[in-house]
Amino acid sequence: MTPRKVYLDNAATTQLDPRVAAAMSAAEQTAWGNASSVHGAGTAAARAVERARMEIASRTGVSPDEIIFTSGGTESNNLAILGLAFARKPAGFRVAFSAVEHPSVSEPARWLGRLGAKVVRIPVDARGLIKLPALENALKAGLDLVSVMHANNEVGTVQPVVEIASLCRRHGAVFHTDACQSFGKLPLEPAKIGAGLVSVNAHKIHGPKGVGALYARKGLKFDAIYRGGGQEGGLRSGTLNAPGIAGFGAAASLCSAEECARMTLLRDFFAASVLCAIPGSALNGDARFRLCNNVNISFEGVSSGSLLLKLSAKGIYVSSGSACAAGKNRPSPVLLAMGLGRERASSSLRFSLSRYTEKRDLTFVLKELSKGVSAERGNA
Amino acid sequence: MPEREKLDLGGVPCPANSARALLKLEMLDDGDELEVLLDDGEPAKNVPAAMSEAGHELVSSSRKGPGWVMVFRKSS
Repeated sequence: MTPRKVYLDNAATTQLDPRVAAAMSAAEQTAWGNASSVHGAGTAAARAVERARMEIASRTGVSPDEIIFTSGGTESNNLAILGLAFARKPAGFRVAFSAVEHPSVSEPARWLGRLGAKVVRIPVDARGLIKLPALENALKAGLDLVSVMHANNEVGTVQPVVEIASLCRRHGAVFHTDACQSFGKLPLEPAKIGAGLVSVNAHKIHGPKGVGALYARKGLKFDAIYRGGGQEGGLRSGTLNAPGIAGFGAAASLCSAEECARMTLLRDFFAASVLCAIPGSALNGDARFRLCNNVNISFEGVSSGSLLLKLSAKGIYVSSGSACAAGKNRPSPVLLAMGLGRERASSSLRFSLSRYTEKRDLTFVLKELSKGVSAERGNA
Repeated sequence: MPEREKLDLGGVPCPANSARALLKLEMLDDGDELEVLLDDGEPAKNVPAAMSEAGHELVSSSRKGPGWVMVFRKSS
C-alpha cells in the first residue's frame, strides 16, 4: 500500500491539474510554433496565447491589451516596479512597499534605492494589515509607486487594497498589487480596486510553473526590463511560451467561487480543530480578512523546522515560511514584521489548502500534528 | 438569419490579430459574418491570408480612414 501523502504547501506551489496538463499537451502538439510568426504554425500558437489572454482578461474585467505575459510572479513584480521607475528616472523615483511583501517586490525596490531612489517600508500591525496612517504620511511626503500585496503568502492576510488604491489616487501615486496568492481565490478586478499594475501567476492555481502575467492599465507609461524582439507590445521581449500560457488560461478558467467556499469551510474546520486540540497554539494573521486556503499557527515551545521534518516523515508536507525563505533557517520575516517576536515566529507552520484537500486529510494531519507537537515538547 | 459581429483589431500586431479574429469566429455559427477593423500594411495582408487558410471567406474589403474594414464569413 502506498503511504498516505497530504500536501498542504499550496501557497508555495500547487499540483498541476490534469485538465490543465491536457490543455498544455494539446498546445504542445498544435501550438508549438513561434507566436510571433505570421504563418499558419505561428498563428496557431498565437491563437493559444490569445485564448489565454482573453480568459485572464475577462476574469479580471480588463482589456486583453492590458495583459502582458511573463515568466511568473517574480518577473511580473520586477517588471511593475523597475519598469515604472525606468520609465521615469530611477534616481528621483519614490517607492513604498509594505513590510510583509514577497522579496520579489522588496528586493527590486531596494535595488532602486541603491540607484538613488527613495524607498519607504510601510509597517503592518500584529495581524499583518498595513498601517494606513503610515502609508498616508508617506504619500503626503511624495511617492510615485506603492506596492502592497493583495493577500500575504505566509499568513494569508488580505490587505484593504481598495482603500490603499484610493489613498494612492488621492496623492498621485500608482498602486501595484502582487496578487499571486489571491488570483483565482478572491475577486480581482483591477479597475474596481483602482490598481494600475497587478501581478498574477499560474502555478498557485494548479497551472504550470514559469508562467505569469502583469496587468498594466492602458496609458500607464512604463519601460521594458527584457529587451529584444519587442513581443508583448515591446514590454516583454522573448518568444512566448504558448503551451505554458495555454495552461495558465486553462487553470484560470477552472477557478471558482464555489471551490473557495469549500476551502473556507475546510480552513475554518482545521484551524478550530488545531487551536482546540493543541494547547499553546495560536493563529497568526487576521481571522476574518484571510485567504480561503491559509492556516498559519504557532506552537509554543516548538521549533517549526523540526516539527516540519517530523510531519514530512509522515507524508505531510507543510511550510515553516515562504518557499523562497525556506531553507534559510531563520524566523519568518513576515511574522517578525508583525511584531510577533522571534520565539513565536520560529514556532509557526503554514498549512495551505487546495482543491485536492479533503476533510479526512486534515483529520489525519491533526492527529499527526498533535503527536508531533507533544514529542517536540517532550524533547525540549 | 446570419448575424454580423464586429471586432476592432487596430493596434493589435500580427499574428495576434489573426488569432483574435479566428477565436471570435469560433464563437459564431456557420454563415455568420465578422467585420474587423485592421491597420494598414502587414495586418491588411496577413489577416485575410490567415482567414483564408482557415477556410473562412472574405466577403468585402474597403478602406476606412488610415485602416481597413474587412468582412469574413464563417465556414467550418
